[in-house]
Amino acid sequence: MPVRIGNKKLFWLPTLLLVAMLVAPMAQARDAITVSVTLDRNSIGLDEQALLQVEVSGSSQDLPKPHIPSLPAFEIYSQGRSSNISIVNGVVSSSVTYRYLVIPRKPGEFPIDQIAVVHNNKRYKGNVVTLKVLSRGSSAPDDLNERAVDTEGESKDYFLEAVVDNKNPFVNEQVTLTLKFYIAVQYYGSPELTEPATTGFWNEVLGNKAPYYQRINNRRYKVIERKYALFPTQTGELTIGRATIRATVAGKRKRSRDPFGFDDFFGRGVEARASSRSLRVNVRPIPQENRPSDFTGTIGRFNISAKADKQQVELNQPVTLTIRISGTGNIKSVAEPALPELDEFRIYRASSSEEVSQQNDKLGGAKLFEEVFIPRLPGDLEIPGLSFNYFDPEQERFRTVTTKPIRIMVTAPEGYSSDSPVPYSPPGMTIDSRAHDIRHIKADLGKMQPVGRMPLLSVGFLLFNAVPILALVGSIMIRRRREKLAADTGLARARGAAKIARKRMAQARALARVETRSEFYAEIYRALTSYIADKLNTSPHGLTTDSIRQILNQRSTPEGLTDAVTGIITACDYARFAPASLLQSDIDQTLKDSEEVIIRMEEVKFG
Amino acid sequence: MAKPLVIWLPVMLLAAILVVPPASAQSEEFAMANSFYEDKDFGSAIRLYHSILDRGEESATLHFNLANAYFKSGDLGHAVLYYTRAQRLAPADEDIAFNLDFAKQFSRVQMEGVQLNPIRTFFETLVRPYQLHQLGWITSALFFMLLGALTIRISLGRGASWLRIVTAVGLVLLVAVGSLTTFKYRHDFLTPRAVIISEESPVYTGASEQSEIELNGAPGLVVEILSESGDYLNVLFENKRRGWIKTDLVARI
Repeated sequence: MPVRIGNKKLFWLPTLLLVAMLVAPMAQARDAITVSVTLDRNSIGLDEQALLQVEVSGSSQDLPKPHIPSLPAFEIYSQGRSSNISIVNGVVSSSVTYRYLVIPRKPGEFPIDQIAVVHNNKRYKGNVVTLKVLSRGSSAPDDLNERAVDTEGESKDYFLEAVVDNKNPFVNEQVTLTLKFYIAVQYYGSPELTEPATTGFWNEVLGNKAPYYQRINNRRYKVIERKYALFPTQTGELTIGRATIRATVAGKRKRSRDPFGFDDFFGRGVEARASSRSLRVNVRPIPQENRPSDFTGTIGRFNISAKADKQQVELNQPVTLTIRISGTGNIKSVAEPALPELDEFRIYRASSSEEVSQQNDKLGGAKLFEEVFIPRLPGDLEIPGLSFNYFDPEQERFRTVTTKPIRIMVTAPEGYSSDSPVPYSPPGMTIDSRAHDIRHIKADLGKMQPVGRMPLLSVGFLLFNAVPILALVGSIMIRRRREKLAADTGLARARGAAKIARKRMAQARALARVETRSEFYAEIYRALTSYIADKLNTSPHGLTTDSIRQILNQRSTPEGLTDAVTGIITACDYARFAPASLLQSDIDQTLKDSEEVIIRMEEVKFG
Repeated sequence: MAKPLVIWLPVMLLAAILVVPPASAQSEEFAMANSFYEDKDFGSAIRLYHSILDRGEESATLHFNLANAYFKSGDLGHAVLYYTRAQRLAPADEDIAFNLDFAKQFSRVQMEGVQLNPIRTFFETLVRPYQLHQLGWITSALFFMLLGALTIRISLGRGASWLRIVTAVGLVLLVAVGSLTTFKYRHDFLTPRAVIISEESPVYTGASEQSEIELNGAPGLVVEILSESGDYLNVLFENKRRGWIKTDLVARI
């Protein structure tokens, strides 16, 4: 550093100058303002208008308003402004766009210049644009002038116009249909459109254009435009139906009766309806002359390219070739290009996709086809150029586009032998990469069964499954019965009477001997009286021969049963008090009679 | 009553012997068909395999060998058909699964844009190794277990803790396995499927030849049959495209 120690001023001065030299242009650059002038179109009719946009941009957030010079050829009206601020890497930049409506006063070609802004005492000039104004009537054709007039010769407030750009298209060639709604009065809300019928066409809506103004018969109309791309699917004369639009417009009415003027304030409108005319289009067939044999009907203007995902692969490994066909035309109808038969490759179609776009109202885009090529042989292989044919409607001739050949270097794996190659396994398949063939047949016939046998629908299977259901139902019924008996002791005794009686009879049978005759008769007595007492839910001790007779007589007992029961009870009483006279035969007879009586008493309804 | 039975029983037995050939005869015929296959006389092998099938009995191996013979003779559609039938009888057989996948690769048309339902795929993976009747018997066993536990609980009149656990586990397992069985039954038997067997198999937009061609099928493609109208079937491909195809161009699985 060429400074002397001790003189600090001399040391800092060059440094400050250097910094100033570096920073000043940057600051100047930061403060720089650019003015960009654009027109929405370069040519208009005398009855039309253009939109002039002036964009003022710079780093300052306080951007000045442009000065519009006096332009004798035009009337200029401000249409508002919009601003935009962006911050990129900490640097703030802003822009303001001013819009002006330009209405011509005379035909001719007029440059628009001298549009400028002044900032920090410096003038920044915009670029020059030129607007060509055509003579009156060139923009609004005669028939449009006629359409704008009703039968009484008065100018229409609104009307709907439909036009096509091509009335003699080829089949599958795009025809652009434009609907224009002209309205010269105020309207409320959004107009409702009933789309035109387009039978015989494949229809794609291109969208709406921003509203603009047009002068027809010296009246200013607002124009709302909607466009469609129509592709005829058949030849001959086709008709595009009428479109209808509905809107609520300010009505022509007499002076309002409302003294406060609310009617006018709320703008009570009337419904307006306008329909377009139907249009006829004569669709021509694609010529047969010079038509390629593999032509698939694609029409438009296209390019083709192909790209492989790898240039070097091992044998039997897939290479994905992406074929891209792009251009203008009905991209959805673009067919896959014909693939040649190649001995070196197996070819599998993987997928296809499409991207639809539009350029200047023409539909187009790109269609991608993915093909999987599996090399069968090692070496330097070539995928030849793939051709695609289409018909160019502008030139009215067939065109062929071809991809460039693609070279693939295929290496042989270790242990390679030139027997049958392995096919490609798509994802999800379980083929071993070393597989060459199907697995061999089996020697064992296996278990034979009737064709179409359905064991699950057999009666046996269904009955088998009914077993647990029956068991469950049975257990529920038993449970309920048990609970019922537990709650009603009388019923429980009545139901258990026969069982207890049978037990006593069994004990009596064991005692049916002369030596134990007293015990035998006592048991028979207890069996009978207990049975009756259980059935009546009463104590057996109070029962006598007479009371038993009375009880049985009150019920519908079979004939002779009462006598039989009372007879046995009497015999039991007798045997207990004079047992010596009884023989074994008497005992056997009493046992037999008692058993019969018990059985017969089951028929008696005691309850 | 006993007398007619004495007369008819030998007659019926004799008829059974004459009508249904013994298992050894089937095995001999099967072995003969296999030897034709080994000699690369696939046409004769196919005829013999079919003669066994025509008697009303089938086995997974019979379908498998028949499918192999079709594959070797270049009939991809029938090969896929019989591999699929074999797989229905023996879903866990690796050889069948391998050959079916292998054969499907040779279909001239591969389905594109196939979007699999992940839930459906999950259930298919779960039930694939099992035959329908196996799942049915497991469901039945769980049904016995659940109802048995309930029966014991009701009979005892009180619920022991182990019984409650058995009941809860039985219920959960029954619902799970029952759902899988229903899925399998619906997938394998209630949803009619077919395989395209014809080399030229146009699929139309309507049930007539005057309709536009929606797509061209190829042998080996499996389709789901949605409905039938005259000589045409409304079919759904794996990639969800659908159309009408002539009945004689497909074989029902």
